[in-house]
Amino acid sequence: MKHYVKMVWPYVIWAALIIVLPLLLIILYSVTKNGNELVNIQFTLENFKRMTEPVYMAVFIKSFELGILSVVICLILGYLLAYFIAGFQEKVQNLLILLVTIPMWINTLLRTYAWISLLSDNGLINSFLEMIGLQPLNMMYTDFAVLIGLVSDLLPFMVIPIHTSLCKIDQSLIEASMDLGANRFQTFWRVTFKLSIPGVLNGVIMTFLLSISTFVIPKLLGGGQYTLIGNLIENQFISIGDWNFGSAISVILAIIILVSITLMKRIDKDEIEEE
Amino acid sequence: MKKSGIAKKVFSVASVLGLCASMLAGCGSGGGSKPTLKVYSWGEYIDTSLLRDFEQEYDCKVIYETFDSNESMYTKLQSGETYDILVPSDYMIERLIKEDSLQPIDWTKISNASNLADDVMGLDYDPDNTYSVPFFYGNVGILYDTTVVDSADLSEGWELLRDEKYANDIYMYDSERDSFMIALKALGYSMNTSNTDEIDKAYEWLLEQHSSMNPVYAGDDVIDNMISGNKALAVVYSGDGSYIMAENEDLGFLVPEEGTNVWQDAMVITKDCTEVDLAHKYMDFMLRPESAYANTVEVGYTSTVAESRDKAAKEDFAGIDSYIPDMSRSQDEVFRYQDKETKAYFAELWTKVKASN
Repeated sequence: MKHYVKMVWPYVIWAALIIVLPLLLIILYSVTKNGNELVNIQFTLENFKRMTEPVYMAVFIKSFELGILSVVICLILGYLLAYFIAGFQEKVQNLLILLVTIPMWINTLLRTYAWISLLSDNGLINSFLEMIGLQPLNMMYTDFAVLIGLVSDLLPFMVIPIHTSLCKIDQSLIEASMDLGANRFQTFWRVTFKLSIPGVLNGVIMTFLLSISTFVIPKLLGGGQYTLIGNLIENQFISIGDWNFGSAISVILAIIILVSITLMKRIDKDEIEEE
Repeated sequence: MKKSGIAKKVFSVASVLGLCASMLAGCGSGGGSKPTLKVYSWGEYIDTSLLRDFEQEYDCKVIYETFDSNESMYTKLQSGETYDILVPSDYMIERLIKEDSLQPIDWTKISNASNLADDVMGLDYDPDNTYSVPFFYGNVGILYDTTVVDSADLSEGWELLRDEKYANDIYMYDSERDSFMIALKALGYSMNTSNTDEIDKAYEWLLEQHSSMNPVYAGDDVIDNMISGNKALAVVYSGDGSYIMAENEDLGFLVPEEGTNVWQDAMVITKDCTEVDLAHKYMDFMLRPESAYANTVEVGYTSTVAESRDKAAKEDFAGIDSYIPDMSRSQDEVFRYQDKETKAYFAELWTKVKASN
């Protein structure tokens, strides 16, 4: 077994090059100023101090609200869907899971543009509403549009882990629960749901990660004035050219995500210990 | 049983690899030893069939890539990507000249130079056209829906964008310099100011507009949205305006009296360019009246080639007054290079305008 250890080295070097090095660069940028002139570095905490200004704090809060809201919607829809799918025979289940993943084969950008043509002021939905004599709705560039875009994009990441843990549940446990006098709801809540918590947590973590750092969907469906953390970072790098401030925001976002994941992992552990 | 399973797996892996390889081969072929020209330009800024004609005529290959803002182009250059020809705007060209990234143009190699209109030459950003060959030009104005906007309100100029009658009904342009240009001009300042008091007032103007008007800061999506008449007012470049008005008759184009930005996009050759001769041939090709005509009709932006411009104005954009912008108004300005501090100051305020909710 021992000589296999050597085979890890290429991976370690690879990981150092494409993961650790860029991360270190981001951290370096975040505590320096003067853009990408790395020749004469000046250290500063100015970039982090700027983040405490109310304007930027408001962006953070808004991103979190939207992130949590889309996770909750994904969780409700995703759990129902996963539960529904898990009720079928295995062959049908495979097919249904395939159907859930098919949208992921199509580029996110393309799917978002599809939403634009559905939701825009003269889009398909409004044309239909007008046809049946109803008032057209203003849906583009609102929270609603961004939420729809996010939820439809993230749903598979919720459905798949939940479905996996639902499938792993031993049917005899449910039968035992029924035999011992629990009704259907009790069985679901105290047996099925409890056993599916690892999947739920995985799904929540994944969708939360993706929704909190997204920038394409809010930019396209929310318009240029719709600023979430991801857009803030994108602007700093692409249009404004302040790589230092952009890096500082990225570092803070990374820390927040790290802390949230640790907290959620702890819930997972507590649940298991309780068993 | 097991063996056939493995064989099946090997077969499927092999076929996937084969598929990938054939795709790669498809990308690689055709490169050969032909001279290659890498052009980096705005999206939807050319009649792409011209590229094929050029490739055939000079037996070369053109790699044509596009950007959506001067700033993102600059970021890409900073990341180490190299190109032969760029087509950025005035102030960005000035910056590239100052940073010594461009090669001077050898005008003797451009036989079609005489086709260029007089009023597009020698703008302030490159007074002798040492580095730049003008490609498209225009100004910035307000596109308005004549069925919604009261023509008496047009005298408000830029303040029309803060007229609460049209709240929730406007598109601003999602660009720092263009937005501040509007605010500065509305307040009667120069759009190239570095006076922080004036910039602060412009910032207040934009903040106030953001909260009272709830504008959508749009990019190129404004084109489709205004063609379908989604909102009453939109800040657009004259070229986009012409294109949109050619598709939607209910629109008018207002160039406010307070003054606006007159801009120009020009072809420049980078220091990295190795095929200098071919690059000059490319620019010369684009200045042929028939090429310039094809471009302007395709894109809607105003050609710098006088003959093509006049033909398009008469035939394709008849009655659309935004097509030939007035270059003689003294209140209009060209964007100039901003020093680092000023740029950083604007950038921070712009971030705040967009982030305010």
